[in-house]
Amino acid sequence: MENIFIILLGLSMIYIAATSRLAAHVNMLIAQGWLLFFVCLSGFAKEPWFNWHMIASTGNIAENMPHIIGFLFVIVETLLVKAIIIPVFLKKVLNKTQAHRDTEANIPHFYCLVIASIILFGGFLVANITAPEFKMVDGMYFGVSIAIIITSLWLITIKHKVLSNVIGFITMENGIFLLSLSVAKEMPIIVNLGVLLDIFIAVFILGMLVNEINNEFEDLEVAHLSDLKDYEYND
Amino acid sequence: MINLILLFPILAFIILSLFKKKFLNNLMINLYALIHFVVSMALCFNVDFLPMWKTCRFFAIDDTNKIFLAVMSIVFLAVAIYNNGYVQKETSLTKKLRHYTYMILFFVFSMTGAVLSSNLGITWVFIEGTTLASAYLIYFHKTKNSIEAAWKYVFICSIGIALAFVGIILMTIATGNLNSLFYSDLYHNAPLFNHFWLQLSFVFILFGIGTKMGLAPVHFWLPDAHAEAPTPISALLSAALLNSAFLMILNVFRVMVIAGCDGYARIMLLVMGLLSLFITAVFVYHINNYKRMLAYSSIENMGILAIGTALGGIGMLAAMIHLIGHSLIKASFFLTSGNILEIYGTKKIKAVTGLLKTDRKTGWLWIASFIGIAAFPPSVLFISEFLMVKTLFMQKHFIICAVFLLLLTIIIYGLGKSVVRMAFSSNKESELPNNAIKLSWTMYAPQVIMLILAFIIGIYMPLGLSQAVLMAVAGF
Repeated sequence: MENIFIILLGLSMIYIAATSRLAAHVNMLIAQGWLLFFVCLSGFAKEPWFNWHMIASTGNIAENMPHIIGFLFVIVETLLVKAIIIPVFLKKVLNKTQAHRDTEANIPHFYCLVIASIILFGGFLVANITAPEFKMVDGMYFGVSIAIIITSLWLITIKHKVLSNVIGFITMENGIFLLSLSVAKEMPIIVNLGVLLDIFIAVFILGMLVNEINNEFEDLEVAHLSDLKDYEYND
Repeated sequence: MINLILLFPILAFIILSLFKKKFLNNLMINLYALIHFVVSMALCFNVDFLPMWKTCRFFAIDDTNKIFLAVMSIVFLAVAIYNNGYVQKETSLTKKLRHYTYMILFFVFSMTGAVLSSNLGITWVFIEGTTLASAYLIYFHKTKNSIEAAWKYVFICSIGIALAFVGIILMTIATGNLNSLFYSDLYHNAPLFNHFWLQLSFVFILFGIGTKMGLAPVHFWLPDAHAEAPTPISALLSAALLNSAFLMILNVFRVMVIAGCDGYARIMLLVMGLLSLFITAVFVYHINNYKRMLAYSSIENMGILAIGTALGGIGMLAAMIHLIGHSLIKASFFLTSGNILEIYGTKKIKAVTGLLKTDRKTGWLWIASFIGIAAFPPSVLFISEFLMVKTLFMQKHFIICAVFLLLLTIIIYGLGKSVVRMAFSSNKESELPNNAIKLSWTMYAPQVIMLILAFIIGIYMPLGLSQAVLMAVAGF
């Protein structure tokens, strides 16, 4: 079941690579938030402690407290932050800065589509490696998350608008979140909280900076941010 | 007792936001610096004056982070003293000043947390915290250039830190059934770890945290951020932040050593270290901004630390001594550059002439800091670099040794050219800066103290310190 969601996550990266409208990218972020939520849910549904009778008695709840906290965290992280707060915030920034398209990417969109597909294909190949080391991870999660991280990093390098860079950063964080799900063990909760803080505040600060850049410069092109350098040839 | 340094900033934050008085800003920074210094020294000498107050298990002091904590607290104390004179000239807006104070407190808090934490995950969270705090501080002047610097800093470091988190996830895969990221557990169980995942995780952590530390292929934010930040922040960034990132790499490297796959980690560290030296040697010669010049020098010194770590044994010892010396001298160098900026109002090397005539004290501090960073005896860096060359010889890396010395010579020439020119060239009458600017004594005293410390350690290293350094590098 969760493999469907994971594959859809991978496909959403191809869509992001192939479009230039920033609003569509933000919509894809919402979709990724929901998909990650479903991936987590189907992961939890397989856990032995997870059943509806558990809620009936308080003794059970107390016993499963760490699991429940982890579960609540996942809901907050994926649904609230990834699918609601961040996209709403980004849409606000989009409206304010009037940045709609990232047209002047270095590579035509058709090639972007091809390259992103190849990376995703590589991810699926990684998912099917049968070396003994790879028995320690869930292949599907691992392969697709690696593909998402690489695609995001690559998109960051080719895009020209600062907002696209922020979106690339968030999709990379989504990939890392999927990677952390591939480890069978739970990460300590405090680390999870740290991740939440990371995404939340990084996006917040980046968004604020985008606003500031928008105020100082005419538009949000990365090319404006190249005043600081070591040589001044006409000095 | 560790609680005290970690909780005080929160208390100070509450007090500051309740009573919005202007004098409280400096008072809180100074008070925190003092408390930080006293508690750190007490921790280093194993004096527990608050035995009733137990620390939670996420924070602990051990032989290695002792040195880092002590260095950080000395640098922070010096910066806090300097800051008293600096903020008077800098801003008159109470609100802006208050935000500056909040962020300095948060910045030092997160660096302290990163140094003291005994858990890999918690260290990572605190390193992330340092990015958030220092981003505002770099952006403090709110100019176009500072936006650019802050943007590059936040973006590059966030990606680096995210990659480091991938490294931590891979580390948890490597640990097998061990469900813990505490360093003590990692060290204890390291021989059982899966080598493939461990090596992969080291690559990610080295590159991710190496971004924060300023190692060469991923150093791009560093010159911009150091040059655009307010002077006290540049000093803190260079002398404390880079070290705390280095500590995390060091701790993970120790896991690699215990697990027995350090050969490959050493090669990576060596390559990154030499590359840092190379980048600095290439760029430092033509540079036109003296704060950027110092930033490149920081990259160079981080490279030397990486090389020392890679060599192990006496090289590691040299790296630890180098770390102490570099932090003291570089902080003083940056603070002095702040004085020059106050006097001349420009960061251009060519615009600064006749520093010794214009302000004698700043001029001599500038030269003394240069002598320190160039590792002329009696600077403590002479000992560390000498030991490093000796180790290279002993391990028969003759070619690397030759490259190392050549690059160092080029860098010293590049730095020296600019420093000598700024200090000794004669003033043109028309370009004489306004002599009306009088700097307060707090903008000279910290540098003098740190330089004296660095030179004294270079001549005579107290037994306690040398033992502490030996203990810190045991096991590498």
